[in-house]
Amino acid sequence: MKSETSNNNLRQLAERLVQYGKKQGADEIEVTLYDGLEFNVDVRLGKIENLVEAGSKFCVLRVFKDKRAASASSSDLGISTLQTLIKNAIGRALLTQPDEYAGLPAPALFKVDYNSLKLYDPEVARMKPREKIKLAQTAEKIALEDKRITNSFGASFLTNEFRTVLANSNGFTGEYLQTYCSLSLGLQAGQGDNLVEDYWFSSKRHLKDLASPEEVARKTVQRTVRHLNPQKIKTQNVPVIFEPTMTSWLLAFLFSCVSGMAVYQKTTFLTDRLGQKIGNDLISVIDDGLLPARLGSRPFDSEGVPTQRTVVIERGVLKNYLCNTYAARKLNLVSTGNGDGNSVVPNNFYLEAGTASPEEIIKSTEKGLWLTKAIGQGLNPVTGDISRGAFGLWIEDGEIAYPVSEITIAGNLGEILTSIEAIGNDLEFESSICGPTIKVAEMTVSGI
Amino acid sequence: MIEKTKMVFPCNNHFRLRTSDLKQALELALSRGGEFADIFLEHRITRSILMEEDIIKETSENIILGLGIRVIKKDQTGYAYTNDFSESKIKFAAEAAAAIASSTEVKTSPLKLKLRPIKPKKEVAVVKSLATSSELQKKLEIVQKAYNSALKFDPVIKKVQVAYGESSQQVWIVNSEGLSIKDTRPMVKLVVQAIAEKNGRRESGFYGGGGRVGLEFFSNQMIPEEIGQEAAKEAYLLLEAIEPPAGEYPVILAPGHSGVLVHEAVGHLLEGDFIRKKTSIFWNKLEKQVGSEQITIYDDPTIPGLRGSYNVDDEGTLPEKTLLIERGKVKGFLQDRLSARWMKKILNGHGRRQDFTYWPVPRMSNTYIDRGEYSADEIIHSVSKGFYVSRLSGGQVEDSGKFTFSVTLGFMIEDGRLTRPVKQATLIGTNLDILQKVEMVGSDLEFGLQTGTCNKEGQDVPVSEGCPTMKISRMTIGGVR
Repeated sequence: MKSETSNNNLRQLAERLVQYGKKQGADEIEVTLYDGLEFNVDVRLGKIENLVEAGSKFCVLRVFKDKRAASASSSDLGISTLQTLIKNAIGRALLTQPDEYAGLPAPALFKVDYNSLKLYDPEVARMKPREKIKLAQTAEKIALEDKRITNSFGASFLTNEFRTVLANSNGFTGEYLQTYCSLSLGLQAGQGDNLVEDYWFSSKRHLKDLASPEEVARKTVQRTVRHLNPQKIKTQNVPVIFEPTMTSWLLAFLFSCVSGMAVYQKTTFLTDRLGQKIGNDLISVIDDGLLPARLGSRPFDSEGVPTQRTVVIERGVLKNYLCNTYAARKLNLVSTGNGDGNSVVPNNFYLEAGTASPEEIIKSTEKGLWLTKAIGQGLNPVTGDISRGAFGLWIEDGEIAYPVSEITIAGNLGEILTSIEAIGNDLEFESSICGPTIKVAEMTVSGI
Repeated sequence: MIEKTKMVFPCNNHFRLRTSDLKQALELALSRGGEFADIFLEHRITRSILMEEDIIKETSENIILGLGIRVIKKDQTGYAYTNDFSESKIKFAAEAAAAIASSTEVKTSPLKLKLRPIKPKKEVAVVKSLATSSELQKKLEIVQKAYNSALKFDPVIKKVQVAYGESSQQVWIVNSEGLSIKDTRPMVKLVVQAIAEKNGRRESGFYGGGGRVGLEFFSNQMIPEEIGQEAAKEAYLLLEAIEPPAGEYPVILAPGHSGVLVHEAVGHLLEGDFIRKKTSIFWNKLEKQVGSEQITIYDDPTIPGLRGSYNVDDEGTLPEKTLLIERGKVKGFLQDRLSARWMKKILNGHGRRQDFTYWPVPRMSNTYIDRGEYSADEIIHSVSKGFYVSRLSGGQVEDSGKFTFSVTLGFMIEDGRLTRPVKQATLIGTNLDILQKVEMVGSDLEFGLQTGTCNKEGQDVPVSEGCPTMKISRMTIGGVR
């Protein structure tokens, strides 16, 4: 594995390409180089099924000429290929129309301290393949000891080590190194044609933060068997409790609706709502690129803009859209450091935790659905409409009565935001978008 | 000034590797006791154009170059890839892949390997004017035509976005059985999204076309104006659409894109890996009756021009039209090399991968329900109260057979006629149950929009699907009414 010291070759290549672009006539140019190492092992029924070890590099670049933009990318890092891509991009830019909002960000006034973000763990880089294989095997073995589990989709252990180098013609040069590791497991239970499945995982930047194989096994088993012998239910309107993984997809949908790109394009129902009350007082949503060791943290975004903590919703009031430089200019706002090429991505986008425990939330529910799994798309940012296939546990008198399947849930994100009744205290950062358990006052659950 | 817009890349041997280099790598890959090894080399050029807010906002050009080395021992796979074609990096990759077979005794005797170049039997691409070799100006015109026709469809259309994409993928696959095969795979795609707005209500419509075809497709098969208008029309109709009903109803699927149902409800669960691992509910159902006699399903990678077609799959097998379900009975599975070997079945050319960073897994190509005997009218007239699925945006399935698919535009059926348009709804079912509930299959087989992509285990591959008008006796619709 590589050392943590700076990679001069990549930095020099990036700077050289920036100079080349300027010489060829680009007004502005931005070059990003990635250098990654990947290790992945899939274990199934005790045996290694797939073992992958590989390194690869990648280049992404944008040029601007007379306010016209063009971009390119390549996994061929040969200098002649990259130079041709730059020349072609400048040529294409001239054939398109000027866009007064296009261009690189102005140079930033400050820098984020890379070390404070704790993105790199030398322990992950040092791990031996056999230790990684062992972790995956152990997790699966423990799970298969449970007699209710009848088949396995396998356990996987994955590590990544990734360097990002960014240089642009406004004088920005920056780089950072990050690690990532994850342990995941998928299981099947049931007999004949009545099968159920689920998975669980832990993913972190630091090995010491990763859940143990025992914990991953225990959670996956519990998540899988709770769906056994589901019943069908009648179509009705009831309260729906979202467990944290379900809150996460709801938040991912919310993210797509507060993305500055969608806002200026008017493809979100939250267009023109800044400063307005869009949810009730319980709801505060944050995007924060600076949380130490979290998966979505980074010192600067794809345009070199320093990341920050942005309050998106404060006690129900929409405070900020999340923007890259382009969206910010279109909306007369300031970039929030969420740039990703021509689009916008979350850093750590989360719903602030509440005070109730998930158990208390369930207890408070006379009748309703505890949503544990959703499949299918059915999210429309233009309207906020939600319609997805669902699995869950039926709640009666504050207790779990039985699992339900072959149902769908339907509602509208705008209505959900104003009708969240309770927010749990169980916020965990297992992905860059996350939230705790929430209870929504009413949604339509369709069955028979 | 730039005098020409044709892009310049030397296109003979992007790989700059000799057969002897690959032979050496294969030998090294098998040096730890692996039973089979192959190398997948890929060079792909992809270009795109984006138009919105009345201007061409963005063009891009992307290159993928790399190779992946795979070693198989029994049902175990070792995989490594690199985009650096230096001797040392290829050697490193071959050794990393070889490690799956952990024999410590390193074989030194060279394989008596002789690579025999073979050629695909068929050309599935229907191309007169290769998009990746055509002038940018022509493509800009196509994009602008689609944009303008969508915007001018009706004053309620407030916003249009047009995306054009083209690619040309060159592959070279060699393996330790001596196979050496090369292929070139062109593709184009034009998609339009239109947003309609009226009285504070906003809706969006989508349409598109393309496939393994040349640029002439947009002048003789589906003109850009048609694509723009269809997208606008959908958004326009949705402005008047009512909320979907909730509960169980008879469902009729429109021909073409409704094939997504077959893809999700049946196709995935007949993929060889899920069968081999016994996680699919179909694993023990070969030759068993699982559905109504109305249903016959094929997956055919050899249909000319379609998006899911290929001349050779991503592990060098010449593909075949594969019968999956015949009159309700399971007749076949989608195989890649590993699953076919393990199950002692013949290869049918369904080993596919997203790119060189992935090993192949069994995948669908163009999956369709074969034509039946009813006319679309007969089918619609047979329902007094039900739901008609006009356009779908996608779906998802679990190995246990539970699946959903998302309807972007539907209609209510009342007294055997289509009445009010219905907006976004999700349909859910269990595959065995739905297969048995297929009551009528029409004679009007069509393939859907050639814009679809299927994701499995993180890998995206282009696919398409088809079906005739079809009636399912009952299905749960996730609405709010």
